[in-house]
Amino acid sequence: MTKLLNRPLKAFALFSMLILLISVPVYVLVIDYIWVSELDENNWLTLQHTKEKLKSRDFTADEIEKINQIWGELQPGVSITKIDESNTLQDSVYEVIRNNVYDEEDGEDRFRGLKSHLVINDQSYQINIETNVEESDETLLAVAVVTFLFFVLLIIGFIFLNRRIAAKSWKPFYQTLQSLQSFDLAIDKRIVLEETNIYEFRELNQALTRLVEGNVRAFQQQKSFTENASHELQTPIALLKSRLDLLLQQRGVTPEISDMISSVEAPLSRLSRINKNLLLLAKVENNQYQESEHVSMYSCLENSLALFEDYVAGKKLKVESSFDRAMMIDAHPFLLETLVNNLLSNAIRHTPIGGSIALTTGNGQLIVTNSGAAPLAADSLFKRFSAVSNEVVGSGLGLAIVQEIASKYNWSVEYSFREQHTFSVVF
Amino acid sequence: MKILIIEDEKELARDISQYLKNEQYMCELASDYQEAMDKVYAYEYDCILLDLMLPGGDGLSILKELKRLNKQEGVIIISAKNSTDDKVSGLKLGADDYLAKPFHLSELSARIYSLIRRRQFDSSNVIVQNELTIDTQSKTVTVHDNPVSLTKKEYDLLLFFIGNKNRVLSKGALAEHLSGDLADMFDNHDFVYAHVKNLKRKLKEGGYRDYLQTIYGTGYKWEQ
Repeated sequence: MTKLLNRPLKAFALFSMLILLISVPVYVLVIDYIWVSELDENNWLTLQHTKEKLKSRDFTADEIEKINQIWGELQPGVSITKIDESNTLQDSVYEVIRNNVYDEEDGEDRFRGLKSHLVINDQSYQINIETNVEESDETLLAVAVVTFLFFVLLIIGFIFLNRRIAAKSWKPFYQTLQSLQSFDLAIDKRIVLEETNIYEFRELNQALTRLVEGNVRAFQQQKSFTENASHELQTPIALLKSRLDLLLQQRGVTPEISDMISSVEAPLSRLSRINKNLLLLAKVENNQYQESEHVSMYSCLENSLALFEDYVAGKKLKVESSFDRAMMIDAHPFLLETLVNNLLSNAIRHTPIGGSIALTTGNGQLIVTNSGAAPLAADSLFKRFSAVSNEVVGSGLGLAIVQEIASKYNWSVEYSFREQHTFSVVF
Repeated sequence: MKILIIEDEKELARDISQYLKNEQYMCELASDYQEAMDKVYAYEYDCILLDLMLPGGDGLSILKELKRLNKQEGVIIISAKNSTDDKVSGLKLGADDYLAKPFHLSELSARIYSLIRRRQFDSSNVIVQNELTIDTQSKTVTVHDNPVSLTKKEYDLLLFFIGNKNRVLSKGALAEHLSGDLADMFDNHDFVYAHVKNLKRKLKEGGYRDYLQTIYGTGYKWEQ
């Protein structure tokens, strides 16, 4: 994962490094070339000058020897040596590396030389003119150091510019990102993206606005669909229920028929429950339970327990409870009641006969545990219509409703299994 | 007893009137706002069943009109919109009761019975069924002047039976009456059986004539 703006930065840095690396030897070669040609010219001038001066007077061999000695002592750059006739040469340029006599530190010096010969008194002499040249490794080092310094400057500049650009040009991008990250389909009806005069970002914002609006529409439709569908279903369910009630009243209903009628009642009440729950889910999602009260958790649980008393007794369940009587919750009373009822009825339904249920409140938590054999699939437990068990009663929505109510108030609901099922709500 | 059923779902209205018919009830039907208004202006009823979602108008405005005319009818709202808001505003506007669809006809019948009884016998709170006397004020039951001590649930069931005389009541309907909305969270309503058994036993000990019949496989019936 790299930040978008760091990618070009990296590329720019690498590219400039490459270019600068190539530039170092090129610089060195160029400098060397200029240097050497300049020195060669200088040597040549010196040679011409020397030749002219030597020719302008008649020097004896001894004098020349003397001159050479004096030169050698004073100015080591020029020397004259006797040579054989046969060795007459063209002028030639050469380079030598010699140990530096004066500068032990430096070790070696490079000299650029010019060889020539001239004839004085029928004696052939060879003239050498040498000038110290900067060694190319030293040049290389100097250029490399300077280049490196410039490279560092470049990088600092890149980083600085990058920040500037990021802060300025990319501002609309980050604003858009911020708006998208904080956008909640369930709450926000529309998304407002900042105006920008950067073409690409404006295009992006327009596309995003269209996308989000489409999604919001679809979401609203889905929500109102659920609500409308449930409303529409209420009437036929009500009719079926009343028909069954009337059917039971008919004269001459045989036990077989009345058995049939009774067996239709169970799926019908399940249908009615699913429908009621769908409607409730839709309403919670549509924020139709806005008002909030200070509700006593204790009295809410006591009421629920009283309502479930028959079902608890019917299954011979042991219910242990330890309540923090002072615990108050700010929520819509009906929603809190629904959450508690759903958790309780779940526990009662899924506990084997003679099992036990424990209810605990305190520290801003409600914990419902009930005995069970094996853990449930925690990841699908709170999803709608997830088949966690093969029971035929549940609407498959009870825990989804618990989840929905909890998330409405930012409570967290968790399930765990340690020898028994544990559902906890942290308020 | 005259009952006006204001309900746009004609089938349901017919079912309701058929269920109530064998009582001493006379039912009239109105399936839209205008018809309902016409009937409310023209006649007197003992009880009005009011659906809130009506073609042509809102059921709550009928309620307001009734109160404005100072009519004495008892009103039970029957609504598919099971919303607490509707319930609250309905009861605030002077409805006597609120029943959410889908409901058992037996539940509706019991509510109508208790509503009419409350309005009719304003002075007395006593129901007399042959040898059985129920004082709804003190919630006490006597058979042949022998007090019978009932639990709250047994007492509720007794009133439910009395409000549905000669009707077969399924276990599910009884469970729903006792636990309300919670009943459909469970598929096993055997606890009803235990309550009814106790009620029967206690009434028998008091010496009543076994009006409460068990209908095999289905439920119960109070025959009188």
